[in-house]
Amino acid sequence: MRVNLLGVVVVGAAALAGAVIAASLLTGRERRAASEGPGVSPAAAEIGAIPQQGIVLGDPDAPRTLVYYGDVQCPYCALWDESDLPGIVDEYVRPGELRLVFRGLAFIGAESDLGLRAVLAAGLQDKGWNLLNLLYANQGHENAGWLTESSLRRFAASIPGLDADRMLADLNAAEVESELADSRAAAQAGGVEGTPSFEFGPTGGALSPVSQEELESALAG
Amino acid sequence: MTRAAVAVLAAAGAAISAYLLAARGTPICSTGGCEQVQTSSYAHLLGIPLAALGLAAYVTLLASALSRSQIARAVGAVVALASVAFSVYLLVVQVAVIGAVCEWCVASEAVAFLLAPAAVVRVVQ
Repeated sequence: MRVNLLGVVVVGAAALAGAVIAASLLTGRERRAASEGPGVSPAAAEIGAIPQQGIVLGDPDAPRTLVYYGDVQCPYCALWDESDLPGIVDEYVRPGELRLVFRGLAFIGAESDLGLRAVLAAGLQDKGWNLLNLLYANQGHENAGWLTESSLRRFAASIPGLDADRMLADLNAAEVESELADSRAAAQAGGVEGTPSFEFGPTGGALSPVSQEELESALAG
Repeated sequence: MTRAAVAVLAAAGAAISAYLLAARGTPICSTGGCEQVQTSSYAHLLGIPLAALGLAAYVTLLASALSRSQIARAVGAVVALASVAFSVYLLVVQVAVIGAVCEWCVASEAVAFLLAPAAVVRVVQ
């Protein structure tokens, strides 16, 4: 009787564990990555008509600056990009009140590094924010092969005005290397330990760390 | 004796899960891997944070330890064994896929490994 009960327990546990593991493997970002063709980020339309210079989105003379530290593979960054960024761009960047500076970090692995280099290389053509948003909208599982030179070529080809060949040729360009080093140094100086992280303040003045939750009130203040 | 062991370990596991849930992506972690693991796409299952699932599992185990009924023992053992299997999977994901280890998650997984034998003994004894 006890042995039978143990058998039932083992079968039940195997079924429960199998269901949970299967759900973990099958759900989440894989579904989005597997969809055909690059998806479009809600911020894409907002960003389209706004001037960019390298890693800076918006009027370079805007009185206030928001520095955004992000990793292209970080799911919370993709959530922020999807939920908060469009409103910030529409309300503050478009009217010329705020400039957004992207400080890319690659702490999730090799594909973070490749994706970040592509964003910085696209930034050399002033299309970095477009590519960043496209990558977030199509984010796949960490280091599972969603970011390769061929997928980046496909993403880049869908952005008007971005030369995909030139972007791929610039992945290891000196400007990209120096941007990577600058971001790492800025993150270290600012005590940034994870992404997304933000620093906010007057352009050219001292910037202070601000949490994602405080961002809205800081910008409105 | 085994009942007390299940109860104590379940309470410890619940405390760890509750901390992970409260820290939401930024637990204090000496390896630096917690954030990476907790912000990965594997940290949620059908939109539910894994820490919440862990908390639910440990609370179920704690409740099973409070009862002497055969049903409670069986439910406890099912949850405990499934937790072991899922913990093995999560350890593999951390090491082989994400490439970072979250020590609080490992602590919770260690509790699952320790708790399972006691929960199984409660069924067969």
